[in-house]
Amino acid sequence: MQLQNRIAHISVFTAATVSLFVIESLIPRPVPGIRLGLANIFILLVLLNYGYKEALLVGILKSVIGSIVIGRLFTPSFLLSISGTIVSVTIMGIAVRYGRGLSLMGISILGAESHTITQVLIISVLFLGKASLSFLLPPFVLLSLITGSITGISAYWLYTKLERKVEIA
Amino acid sequence: MQSNNRYRPLKIGDFVIILIFLSALFFIPRVEGKKVRVIVDKEKEFIYPLNEDRILKIEGKIGIIMIEIKDGRVRVIESTCPLKICMKMGWIKNKGEQIVCVPNRILICIEGEQFDAITE
Repeated sequence: MQLQNRIAHISVFTAATVSLFVIESLIPRPVPGIRLGLANIFILLVLLNYGYKEALLVGILKSVIGSIVIGRLFTPSFLLSISGTIVSVTIMGIAVRYGRGLSLMGISILGAESHTITQVLIISVLFLGKASLSFLLPPFVLLSLITGSITGISAYWLYTKLERKVEIA
Repeated sequence: MQSNNRYRPLKIGDFVIILIFLSALFFIPRVEGKKVRVIVDKEKEFIYPLNEDRILKIEGKIGIIMIEIKDGRVRVIESTCPLKICMKMGWIKNKGEQIVCVPNRILICIEGEQFDAITE
């Protein structure tokens, strides 16, 4: 693929990722910190179609631009967002490369889990103290299994649609 | 389409991943607490051992709050606050867990041994 094409494609995916991230932050939720992680759908697609470096770039841009839009740049939640993203994209990249027995669902679950576990670790170490790990981890690990499955299945659905579009074009 | 099949959901690996995380839930260590510390309005502090059953009556900002310590667990059984969130939180027993009553400015937290603060 030509460099210009590549840049254009990555930009479109970045825009889509940031949009989902911002829209998702507008939805009221019962407990702070619980998100579906819809933006992860597009990061997964970038990972499959372009590669790890591009996915990492989109992920970091998502955190930075998204945080600017919702006004949380350089706050604790930005730190959590960007560190969670970097770890989860890396784990998903490894899973795509070496996880032959994994579908998009498994890869997405790995991403969601690594994202939340990273955040819980940071919250515990920086703000709440180590003892909080024992009661923070179980609910978040359980929730990530569910949200990871949902985003993984959505990503697969979108992946097949996109592939068909590319073939026609 | 070859690549489609590769990523189709519900492959064996997915179930392995789900099982690993579900079983990991049981291995997350839970440290049972040793003492309960009650802090009133950041000024007064009371510390009680968890292994002695008792009922505490503590005066908060807007009224009296009744705290029960039984079988190594703690809960709020009576409070004068409007929403009764502290009562709905139920029993706590593990280190690091807390019950908060905001209207009464009362914080109940479970702690471990004295030297935990240093080793951690």
